[in-house]
Amino acid sequence: MSHRRITFIQAVREAFQEEMRRDERVFILGQDVRAGIFGTTSKLVGEFGEDRVINTPICESASVGAAVGAAMTGLRPVVQIMFGDFNYLAMEITANQAGQWHYLSDGALKVPMVIETPSGARGGAGYGHSQSLEAAFILPPGLKVAVPSTPYDAKGLLKSAIRDDNPVLFFEHRRLLTQRGHVPEEEYLIPLGQADIKREGKDVTLVALSATVQKALSAAERLSQQGIEVEVIDPRTLVPLDKETIFKSLQKTYHLVVVEEGRRRGGFGAELTAIAAEEWFDTLDAPVQRLGTISAPLPYSPVLEAACIPSEDDIVRAVLRSLGQEE
Amino acid sequence: MALDNDTLKELYRNMVTVRLLEKRVERLVTAARIPCSGHFGTGQEAVGVGICGPLRSDDYLFGTHRGFAEYIGKGMAPAEILCEYYGKATSLSRGRLGQHLLKVDVGIMPLPSSLGSEFGMSVGAALSSKLRRSGQVTVNLFGEGTAGQADFGPALEMASLWQLPLVFVCNNNQYVELAHYRNVVATEDIAPRAGGYGVPYEIVDGNDITLVYDATERAVSRARNGEGPMLLEFKTYRRGTHYTGDPGGYQPREEIAAWEKKDPIDRCRDRMMAEGFWAETDEQAMRETIEAEIEAAVQFAEESPYPDPATVTENIYAQGGDKS
Ligand SMILES: Cc1ncc(C[n+]2csc(CCOP(=O)(O)OP(=O)(O)O)c2C)c(N)n1
Ligand SMILES: [Mg+2]
Repeated sequence: MSHRRITFIQAVREAFQEEMRRDERVFILGQDVRAGIFGTTSKLVGEFGEDRVINTPICESASVGAAVGAAMTGLRPVVQIMFGDFNYLAMEITANQAGQWHYLSDGALKVPMVIETPSGARGGAGYGHSQSLEAAFILPPGLKVAVPSTPYDAKGLLKSAIRDDNPVLFFEHRRLLTQRGHVPEEEYLIPLGQADIKREGKDVTLVALSATVQKALSAAERLSQQGIEVEVIDPRTLVPLDKETIFKSLQKTYHLVVVEEGRRRGGFGAELTAIAAEEWFDTLDAPVQRLGTISAPLPYSPVLEAACIPSEDDIVRAVLRSLGQEE
Repeated sequence: MALDNDTLKELYRNMVTVRLLEKRVERLVTAARIPCSGHFGTGQEAVGVGICGPLRSDDYLFGTHRGFAEYIGKGMAPAEILCEYYGKATSLSRGRLGQHLLKVDVGIMPLPSSLGSEFGMSVGAALSSKLRRSGQVTVNLFGEGTAGQADFGPALEMASLWQLPLVFVCNNNQYVELAHYRNVVATEDIAPRAGGYGVPYEIVDGNDITLVYDATERAVSRARNGEGPMLLEFKTYRRGTHYTGDPGGYQPREEIAAWEKKDPIDRCRDRMMAEGFWAETDEQAMRETIEAEIEAAVQFAEESPYPDPATVTENIYAQGGDKS
């Protein structure tokens, strides 16, 4: 096995390349995808031509609408929304149309498409270019939601998302884009709906998403020095959610902490906590600890931005709270 | 291809079917046999029926919420429409769609509940047929009120930019819900907006089905030949109210009466009779057949079972997914 290390951007671009070579129905559209504003689609136009890498006018709703129409009529589009925040502009199409017509048509229409969307706070981008909105897509029916935290996961999940017959939201945290990680040369896929245990532990189950996975791992490292072994689980997709892996972990640890960069109120953690209360009550020895961004517009100043978003310290404290060891 | 007599007879038959079916469904809604409300298009049947005349069966149509004209025109049967309205297991969607008529195998594409959400989708369908070199044309029918929706301009832009086989058709029936359209539409004509995006347009009398057919035929063959999109605006008039729950009263009597004189069905029949290929006996025989077909369809829908509630979670996802 090779030990090649490449960036998240390269991993995503490789997924596009491989899938576009494999299936000529796959094409990409979005603002500036030929140049590739964050690099994930750069140079693809050279290999695949302008018919398969299409720059769109600045209109997220009509671009996602065009992807839906193309998907319903035999193609497999990937539409890029340059910033996660701008998904709200296309929300009507994504939530009311893309996810619903397979059901409404009783299967006569399929909507195999991917919305690729760089998002998250990376310091200094301000209120409308920094949000993590993945949890907003748990609510509408018929969608799948992927939130990779490593280059390896990004590539494997994106390939599955492109091959999936449903609309899939694919969130790429902008802090992760330039990070490197192990990605083998050989082809592989990661199924949607399969969590990954990023670190094993016996004391607390810590579920983390996207960029918070790294913070969770660092927090786990620190806690380990105090003799607390944290199991870090990355669900990798919010819908479908691999509840089994989380439950198995809980049966060992009896403590649940969940962290995300999306807003805490009504977020993924809220959903997971509800599931825990409903289905896993007997495996909880303590209240669930839930971390997320506060419900404020994300402020610009790096100091203020950091104050909104869960930090490594916050995670350490939440784990200790869960164990009844307040600092 | 000019409109021949047999085609005109078929279009005429479709218009009469639409008129009679709408009247019948209106009674069923009022009698609460059908759970939804109805939005009908008495007086504007020539537009929806006429634009389907020059279309191939595999061409894509994005229709509207008002009436059955384009649905009958594109090949939906009265029984299929009725079963959807009743929400019965025998409907194509097995009770999922109601008024949002859909029949994929004859190219009838989704009618979004949110007006104008089809603009992007029709761009996508046209882009797809262009990339697949399938020769299919997409027709996107919309009301003059819906032209105010956010995706209208971008759809024209994309269609023009990519020279898509897409024909936009504005059904200007002069009313947007309970108000004359000039309450909410800034210009008398919608069509010139297309010009701003480099899309050619025509404004045509929408109550003369031969003109509707001819204009659509020109736009569709252009599109099929790779010459890009067009916008057609058909001027017509909604003689009824907005929907079954609307008591009306806001449309001046004289206005309605003036448009009654331009009724598209009467005009078509008069012309066919004047040209000698339609007689009173043909008319009677046709109406009897249509009425019998509609009554059989009503009976079929009435007698059809409702869907099994256990089917409610079927087909949420095409594969995998989460039904919780
Ligand atoms: C996005 C959205 N807003 C509002 C409505 C409610 N609505 C239903 S029909 C209608 C009027 C549409 O007018 P027009 O486009 O002229 O079509 P017409 O009804 O005259 O055929 C409205 C506002 C809707 N269905 N969708
Ligand atoms: Mg109108």
